[in-house]
Amino acid sequence: MKKKDHLTEELCWQEESEHFLSVKDLVVEYTAAGEVIHAVNGVSFDLERGETLGLVGETGAGKTTIAKSILRILPDPPAKVRSGEILLNGVDLYKISERDMRKVRGEKISMIFQDPMTALNPVMTVGDQIAEAIQLHHSDYSAKEVTLRACEMLEKVGIPASRYSDYPHQFSGGMKQRVVIAMSLACNPLLILADEPTTALDVTIQAQVLDMMKALREEQNTSMILITHDLGVVAETCDRVAVVYAGQIIELGSKEEIFDDPRHPYTLGLFGSLPTLTGDETRLHPIDGMPPNPADLPEGCAFHPRCGKACESCRMRDQAPELVHIGGTHYVRCLDEGVKEREA
Amino acid sequence: MSTLIEVKNLKKYFQTSKGDLHAVDDVSFTIEKGHTLGVVGESGCGKSTLGRTMIHLLEPTDGQILFEGEDVTRIKGKALRQFRENAQIIFQDPYSSLNPRFTVKQTILEPLVLSKRFSKAELEKEADRLMDLVGIDRRLALSYPHELDGGRRQRVGIGRALALNPKFVVCDEPVSSLDVSIQAQILNLIQDLQDEYGLTFMFITHDLSVVRHVSDHICVMYMGNLVEKSPAKELFKTPMHPYTKALLSAIPSIDIHSPMKRIILEGEVTSPVEPAPGCRFAPRCPYATEACHVDQELRELQPDHFVSCHRAEEIMKLAAKKQEEKEPAAEKQADIRGEGKDE
Repeated sequence: MKKKDHLTEELCWQEESEHFLSVKDLVVEYTAAGEVIHAVNGVSFDLERGETLGLVGETGAGKTTIAKSILRILPDPPAKVRSGEILLNGVDLYKISERDMRKVRGEKISMIFQDPMTALNPVMTVGDQIAEAIQLHHSDYSAKEVTLRACEMLEKVGIPASRYSDYPHQFSGGMKQRVVIAMSLACNPLLILADEPTTALDVTIQAQVLDMMKALREEQNTSMILITHDLGVVAETCDRVAVVYAGQIIELGSKEEIFDDPRHPYTLGLFGSLPTLTGDETRLHPIDGMPPNPADLPEGCAFHPRCGKACESCRMRDQAPELVHIGGTHYVRCLDEGVKEREA
Repeated sequence: MSTLIEVKNLKKYFQTSKGDLHAVDDVSFTIEKGHTLGVVGESGCGKSTLGRTMIHLLEPTDGQILFEGEDVTRIKGKALRQFRENAQIIFQDPYSSLNPRFTVKQTILEPLVLSKRFSKAELEKEADRLMDLVGIDRRLALSYPHELDGGRRQRVGIGRALALNPKFVVCDEPVSSLDVSIQAQILNLIQDLQDEYGLTFMFITHDLSVVRHVSDHICVMYMGNLVEKSPAKELFKTPMHPYTKALLSAIPSIDIHSPMKRIILEGEVTSPVEPAPGCRFAPRCPYATEACHVDQELRELQPDHFVSCHRAEEIMKLAAKKQEEKEPAAEKQADIRGEGKDE
């Protein structure tokens, strides 16, 4: 008991460490049928209190794997974290025991999963599911207090407490996602990992949920990593953006830097692929080809087979580009000098 | 310009234990030859049911469908077979709409084989032509769906739909399960095919930016009703129905400098089973009054722009007035997203 409390204090102590969360050089592989799938290949980023970072990328880019490795919930095997450090307030989450990690999950870091239909237990009332999370982290609460707090959480996400004893199938998709959010916020986590929290929802419901999440986060100064493929959602919710391609961050910067001045050919391609609500474009400009097979990544820059700017050196094995600082808080991973130069 | 397909007071009800579910309720519109009609709405609004009813995958409960002037509402047998050659569909999910035991070639050729009009040699030739047409490598002819990624599978689905040179194709969310970069490739392909063959499309989607990009006209549906119908650009510039306004304002915009003022709708879509008479949006509508409990009709408020809200003019005036009070100079901002993006 003593030891746990000690850890909890340590994790709350903010002045100690440089950043609230630091991910350093994370490498994750999956082994399936004798093949090694390189899901995450050296991802590093920092996150501060109250900040929201958007992880943007296509299916299979490694976004969800990054989030799951922060929470240490990757199934091993087949997944294996090869190297890297994840520091929460200076504590390396890969050096603490599973017992301590259980304390971190839910209480310090919690996750909102994409599909509210499968994230909830169908044979347990929604109220009890929220209460379960509270009970696990607050063994000192009485049963009454736990129920009270669960009701409070339901009300907070806009569901009347009278529906405490209803089952998930009695709720609509939007409301189920609210329940999932209530669950993940029940213990006032410091960090939320939101994996496509609104992708399964209709736009008007998405607007409700995003608004609500924003209000709740501001209330508690919670940090968030938002995983999405929807650039519109990123523009509305994030402070900083990391564009992920083939398990690497290929561009990182503040929302303004990425949206006003995207540099990497892939980021530009993503913007070119989007039909806009105001433009008069008659044709879209998609990125050629398909995302690479993570079991067989191209040598050199992983994006070169689809890149219009690729030259000889982009294809060389030993020339793989590094994430380079190009001013402000803007980083880009590209060999092309023109991409990195700042306009006068 | 001639009309290819006309729908008059189409109704499709499903029987449930609690009564009739009004999936499509009294919907009328026409689609011109070579045009694309976009149908938008949230899940459960009846847009897919509408699409399926139009090409006879579902029997309409009531109403009329005219295809090239002929009534095809109750056709059967040979006539239906003939109609099916002209009216095809591209499904949403390229994973479940392809037979997992059919190769790419078998899938694409199935409509041709069923038509019994082609010799073996002709089939071979057609297979190559269709695969080139939709951009699938010929070497993939003998692959099975599970060996292909989502984008290629969707191309197979498109190839199958176009195999018999149909005149009319219903596209039911053809890109919503694809990644953005692949989505753009498929949208371009659909557009190219339309230009080349003068196809007429009905494009069903919940993605408003996609619908604006592909459509000539747009219908907005809410719980089985058509609430607004207008030329595409016009709808985005001056949406008139309160639901359309809220729907447009809810789209997250990638324009980070002029954030939209959100209209957050209270509550969720109510049940379409035995709905109460009157405007179905009224329970969520910020402008609802007593008079909304009477059935609404589509009225042409501007040329070619139809709205089913009896307060539409009033609401427009109200919004304009509010805008003037706030910023007399910036009247243009009343447009749903402003037009200042081309700077």
